[in-house]
Amino acid sequence: MKRITIIAGHYGSGKSEICTNLAFKHKVDYIVDLDIINPYFRTRSLHQEFEDAGIHLVESTIKKKLSSDLPYISGESAIPFLNKELTAIYDLGGTENGGRVLIQFSDKIDHFEDIDLLYVVNIFRMETNTVAKIVKSIKNLENEAQLKVTGLINNTNLLKETTEEMIKEGETILTSVAKELDLPIVYTVIHESLDQQKDYSGKVIRLKRLIADKFL
Amino acid sequence: MAKVLMKGNEAMALAAIKAGADAFYGYPITPQNELPEYMSKHMKEHGRVFLQSESEVAAINMIYGAAGAGARVITSSSSPGIALKQEGISYMAGAELPAVIVNVMRGGPGLGGIQPSQGDYKQITRGGGNGDYYLYSLAPESLQEAVDLIKESFDIADYFRNPVMIAVDGLIGQMMEPVDFELETPKWDLPKKTWATDGNQKGRDKNIINSLYLDPNDLEKHDLKLKKKYDEMKRDHQRYELINMDKADIAIVAFGSTARVCRTSIQLLEEEGINCGMIRPITIYPFPSKAFDEIPKSVKDLLVVEMNTGQMIDDVKIVNEGKLPIHFYGRSGGIVPEAEEIVEKVKEIMGGE
Repeated sequence: MKRITIIAGHYGSGKSEICTNLAFKHKVDYIVDLDIINPYFRTRSLHQEFEDAGIHLVESTIKKKLSSDLPYISGESAIPFLNKELTAIYDLGGTENGGRVLIQFSDKIDHFEDIDLLYVVNIFRMETNTVAKIVKSIKNLENEAQLKVTGLINNTNLLKETTEEMIKEGETILTSVAKELDLPIVYTVIHESLDQQKDYSGKVIRLKRLIADKFL
Repeated sequence: MAKVLMKGNEAMALAAIKAGADAFYGYPITPQNELPEYMSKHMKEHGRVFLQSESEVAAINMIYGAAGAGARVITSSSSPGIALKQEGISYMAGAELPAVIVNVMRGGPGLGGIQPSQGDYKQITRGGGNGDYYLYSLAPESLQEAVDLIKESFDIADYFRNPVMIAVDGLIGQMMEPVDFELETPKWDLPKKTWATDGNQKGRDKNIINSLYLDPNDLEKHDLKLKKKYDEMKRDHQRYELINMDKADIAIVAFGSTARVCRTSIQLLEEEGINCGMIRPITIYPFPSKAFDEIPKSVKDLLVVEMNTGQMIDDVKIVNEGKLPIHFYGRSGGIVPEAEEIVEKVKEIMGGE
């Protein structure tokens, strides 16, 4: 994983669950919740778990007000771009609107080599169920964020109804996207309860649904 | 179309489009914003109308106007926004106008909070605005059920010429589940909207959409005409689900997201050898009194569980007619009760303490 990994995607694509899983697995220094769109199921709802794991959570300037609906982002969110010793994961809000918040960091980014901007896709979301739609939404995000997407994450799932055939179907579509945009598939996400028999493109993340399970 | 993964608010929006909604008028409020957002993107593709009004009051009056012209209309909001719409809703019931109103409830009173709640139960089931009227009110517990009920609700609204309320909480609006939009839903036998103010080119009698009756005799006649509709709803259109009631010693009464949590509680109790059942109202107006006629003799207690401080208890008391002891467990303020809390409450009741 690169020093800074930014996770983007359509809302409901699974960004926050992937971010939190990666953050705990790699014990990053910072997790930055830039989602100012979603009112529920946000990365910041795990603030205690991050604190216990020694991961610094950056959220709103008004901390631990999980129920606030105010689009504040703490200035701390720029720190990992400035201090090159730190590792960090950034969780964006959904769709291209969620990417717009990245523009504020553009004058602070000088080493594009340490930064991955990964795009999460679940082909069971209607807005990202074809190659053309995915390519279009990636281009929209890049325009809004003023950054190039560097890789794809296959998070194809229907929650508890997911099968390996579905994930493979997602992989087929994403392979075409990858070819068209000259991008790698960096990760494939498989829920921890699914018995994995097949091999997949990129590294496999065995996902725990940490945020949703806290609610439901 | 096979199953897709949807967020509740998006799923309800698409269900309305599938049901042939001609127009959406609304004003943003958390936690239902994805519903108008989805409409803003997709209504145009279908040649329909999406309009963000300047306020909730404006939105409900646009709904009144479009419904009067014979269009299939929908609006959505969350608790404080629905409160603002009450005047228009009462006028619509008075003028006998069909519409679908989605309330994605959040904590209250006042501005309250943005987390899930069922705190509008009384407002929804007692009319909400002024005068003698009610809303046919559906409380789905899953996204699939919400989609199916919304698809049908436009027919129900047209049939009764009365607004239909879809009462969900923020959790249903925000959660994600696989949904199939092509499942068959009941189609109601609907007469032509000969009453609509849709242009009088053929010289028929004038149609007037109005809720003003200054002659007391006329107004009483009108009120009794409306009452007939509510009586029919109560008599023929109660909906509910009985879960695990056959050998139950105790029965939970819960709707919407709370019923989901209670399903887990029932499983946990079963593992401990306790038979707990559930009456799940799907219509909260009319309240499903018939479900209580089906309670087996084995049931010794009723436990009402809600995400509020106990608003449905009165309805349970009315239909229970003093037969069984009624207990209550609720969380409010936006807190969703955990399955284990309900398990503890059931054990406490069964222990007789």
